[in-house]
Amino acid sequence: MAHSAGLDSEPEAARLLAACARQDRQAFQRLYELTSPRLLACLIRLLRNRALAEDALQDVFIQVWSRAAQFQRDRGSSWAWLIAIARYRAIDLQRRERRLVPGGPEDFEAVAADEEPHDSLMALGHRAAAALDNCLDALQERQRHCILLSYQDGMTHAEVADRIGEPLGSVKSWIRRGLTALRRCLES
Amino acid sequence: MNRNNPDVLELLAAEFVLGTLAGAARRRFERWRGSDPFVERRVRAWEERLAGLAFRLKPVTPSPATWTTIERRIGPAPRSRWHAFAAAVVAVAVLGLGWFLWPQLQVAPPAAQAIFASKAGEVLWRVELAADGEYVEVSAIGTVSYPDQRSLELWALPSDASPVSLGLMPASGRLRLALDERQRAALGLAANVAVSEEPLGGSPTGAPTGPVLYVAAIARS
Repeated sequence: MAHSAGLDSEPEAARLLAACARQDRQAFQRLYELTSPRLLACLIRLLRNRALAEDALQDVFIQVWSRAAQFQRDRGSSWAWLIAIARYRAIDLQRRERRLVPGGPEDFEAVAADEEPHDSLMALGHRAAAALDNCLDALQERQRHCILLSYQDGMTHAEVADRIGEPLGSVKSWIRRGLTALRRCLES
Repeated sequence: MNRNNPDVLELLAAEFVLGTLAGAARRRFERWRGSDPFVERRVRAWEERLAGLAFRLKPVTPSPATWTTIERRIGPAPRSRWHAFAAAVVAVAVLGLGWFLWPQLQVAPPAAQAIFASKAGEVLWRVELAADGEYVEVSAIGTVSYPDQRSLELWALPSDASPVSLGLMPASGRLRLALDERQRAALGLAANVAVSEEPLGGSPTGAPTGPVLYVAAIARS
């Protein structure tokens, strides 16, 4: 069973990342243990293949090790920085090799929705977690659905349209309006 | 793309982070982001806003082999603290003896050094070979533009032999790269060192595969 990053793991992740910038290998290993299960879940979901996702996870942590010194805490949380590195890596791979080999069904089951999303969101801090929950709830159902399909599954506009059987133009505008509403809500 | 239209920029940043900005537009935006801190801040803000969506997935523990490979790819570990301590004790003893026997003895200067500079003449890294030949120390000095999703690798260029990798260059700060016999021998025969651009984690073949970005002459003391 994967040990999930516990409540309020952000301060620890930030401390470990700062130690990685000083080339501290023990801190790097600890950061890996703390954050890799979450990052791997994102990667499997985006790449739809466990083996590719594990390879991508290697690339992500090589990048984390070599760029830790560039992380600036005042610009955002370490969790957001790590997740962004993982997602961009997967999106790059996914679009470079358009024809991905899907893994077995167990690859999908492995990344089912977390049944306690609110608890794990707490890793980002109580306020941020509650705010994102509330603001997602405030979106129209189809806006929320399209945004989640793009973010979690890495789908393009066209793929989302295809999946939900709606016109491309509608999908584009739902996503745009949804994002704008989400930002306004989070900033209010 | 127009930075003066905040709504357009905001949406571009959001769709870049979301992943729906694709193809040439995505690559263009990526370059823009890398060159404009204002755009970079918008992107970071969206990464932050949407990060919580990644927490809605159930975590999956990676296979143990993944960590082993990562460890191998970041290169050999520097000596342990115990070794460093033992080395310090020996150094103190040797220095003490030296002080007694040979009053001129000072802290050993590097055996050799090389300076990498940009074409514009800005100093980027200083590479120093330790007096005992055990390691090279690389210090990032200038603003190093580290290519996205790539690594910069340091090579010794021995005359009449193939380049030998010494490790990966740091984007900032100081990094010690321990040398093995083969690397020490290559450096001993080299007049120059070079930095090449490689896939993440360094050249997969053991020889430079990407463009050679910098070459510097080795000055021996």
